[in-house]
Amino acid sequence: MERTEITNVLTAIFRKILAKDTLILSDNLTANDVENWDSLTHMLLISEIETEFSIKFKLKDLNKMRNVGDMIETIISKL
Amino acid sequence: MFSKFIINPIFEAITNFSSNNAFCINEQFYSYEQFAQYISKIRTAIQSVHLKNTNISLVVNDDIETYASIFAIWLEGFAYVPLHPQQPVERSLEIISQAEIELVLDSSLKTAFTDISVIETTSLCFESLNLDPKMVSDETLAYILFTSGSTGKPKGVMISRKNAGAFMKSFGETGFQITENDRCLQCFDLTFDVSVQSYLVPLTKGACTYTIPHDQIKYSYVYGLLEDHQLTFGAMAPSMIRYLRPYFDEINIPSMRYSILTAEASPVDLINEWANCIPNAEIFDFYGPTEATIYCTYHKYIRKGNNKQLNGMLSIGKAMPGLKAIIIDDERKSLDVNQKGELCISGDQVTPGYWKNTEKNKESFFEMEIDGIANRFYKTGDSCYFDTDGDIMLAGRLDYQVKIQGYRIELGEIEYHAREFLTGQNAVAVAFNNQMGNTEIALFVEGILNNEPELLVHLNSKMPFYMIPTKIMAGNLFPINTSGKVDRIKLKNQLT
Repeated sequence: MERTEITNVLTAIFRKILAKDTLILSDNLTANDVENWDSLTHMLLISEIETEFSIKFKLKDLNKMRNVGDMIETIISKL
Repeated sequence: MFSKFIINPIFEAITNFSSNNAFCINEQFYSYEQFAQYISKIRTAIQSVHLKNTNISLVVNDDIETYASIFAIWLEGFAYVPLHPQQPVERSLEIISQAEIELVLDSSLKTAFTDISVIETTSLCFESLNLDPKMVSDETLAYILFTSGSTGKPKGVMISRKNAGAFMKSFGETGFQITENDRCLQCFDLTFDVSVQSYLVPLTKGACTYTIPHDQIKYSYVYGLLEDHQLTFGAMAPSMIRYLRPYFDEINIPSMRYSILTAEASPVDLINEWANCIPNAEIFDFYGPTEATIYCTYHKYIRKGNNKQLNGMLSIGKAMPGLKAIIIDDERKSLDVNQKGELCISGDQVTPGYWKNTEKNKESFFEMEIDGIANRFYKTGDSCYFDTDGDIMLAGRLDYQVKIQGYRIELGEIEYHAREFLTGQNAVAVAFNNQMGNTEIALFVEGILNNEPELLVHLNSKMPFYMIPTKIMAGNLFPINTSGKVDRIKLKNQLT
């Protein structure tokens, strides 16, 4: 899967879980930039991403994800 | 008290361990020497402002300036009133107005406060050390924490220097051996008082405090700190540990020496599993309302042993040294063992009261003579009883005690039976008023529920009909409030 394709899928997931129809993902985006993106919604995002891409994150992976860019790289490494 | 147990030990740490790390914030270390410089520059700036009121607001960004500001404020003999940068400005302004604040310390890039004096602490430059403490009475306030009030307006809990000093003295006497070599977790918001334990205990010993940046997801960042920096001591809320539970098989932190569970009741089944992740740690449950300064009772968890529990929650043990715990009935009569009533606490840790709130102060404190000595007690609002060993069993909040069709019900009991059936899934019972104005019970189950009919059969087999939830809500994860507890108000709002 191409990086842009992954970004598109992620965008849909983020918009749905965080209830923000116009959210644009960028590599530097962090939880601090988006209202609602907290421990709870993060957990929901992770489980949705795991289902959508048929992957399973380790806690170590989650800990390394400091922004959306890291998240995309981690997904690529799992595919 | 405050000098002896807080200020002096921190000076000793600054003197004796000046090159030790005091903080690790966002992967950056700050030595005790640097910390002293940050405190000095902020203190000098505070001294340049003429203040009539002794309360100073602090925007708690959890950076080095934030922590240094606390001590700069204390050295000047003032009290800090934390404002969370992520809470609505309107709420902050309400607190500023109530506490009669004239000065805000803010390390934000751009401060949100315009109509009040603000010291932007990141723009200050260090010139010279300025650490001689002003001598003020122990009755002076150390901090005021505003919590949600039932009237909709936040209410301020005043904690005096005596209260804070008494807490540090008592905590020291419970036997924790923290040294300058320890690495300690501080994962609580500075608007919540467990944060005070989390930074004071390391700083008074020359140890290093590890914090969580606001832009990071708390549970995974905490795990990163535990693992990467091999932390040795930390207080955590059970709700956060529950977030880590799906990953317990990956977690192994042999460095952990002491693990404190606090902020809410500790489920024994969760601790049993958590204990395997921290094989060398001694595990404690600490209980305490903000009004009795951080913690007031504690209980040690026994590995592979029989742990006292009520409704699946660990006993909160006995009062800490220097504190008295009693359980009273509605007529303020002290109760015997195994009789359930309201837990009340007295001692030097008990707050002088709520900030300018006569009504609430009348309601929450009372005097009682015990063995010829007058004691001032704080009513915790928690429903408890003493077992035959004198250990306190926590049944839940008195506000979680609801009356349905005349029956008095503990929501904790319903939750216990639901969790027992759900094995590992969390469940929270909430009372709500239906359209008729009658009280009903809703049960929230965290995550997906495939077997609702079986759950109901189970509940019906354990409890009388009037305790069976009339509504079951499942599918989502539970919201957590800023204190790290399950947010029951948000859950309840989902019902309307």
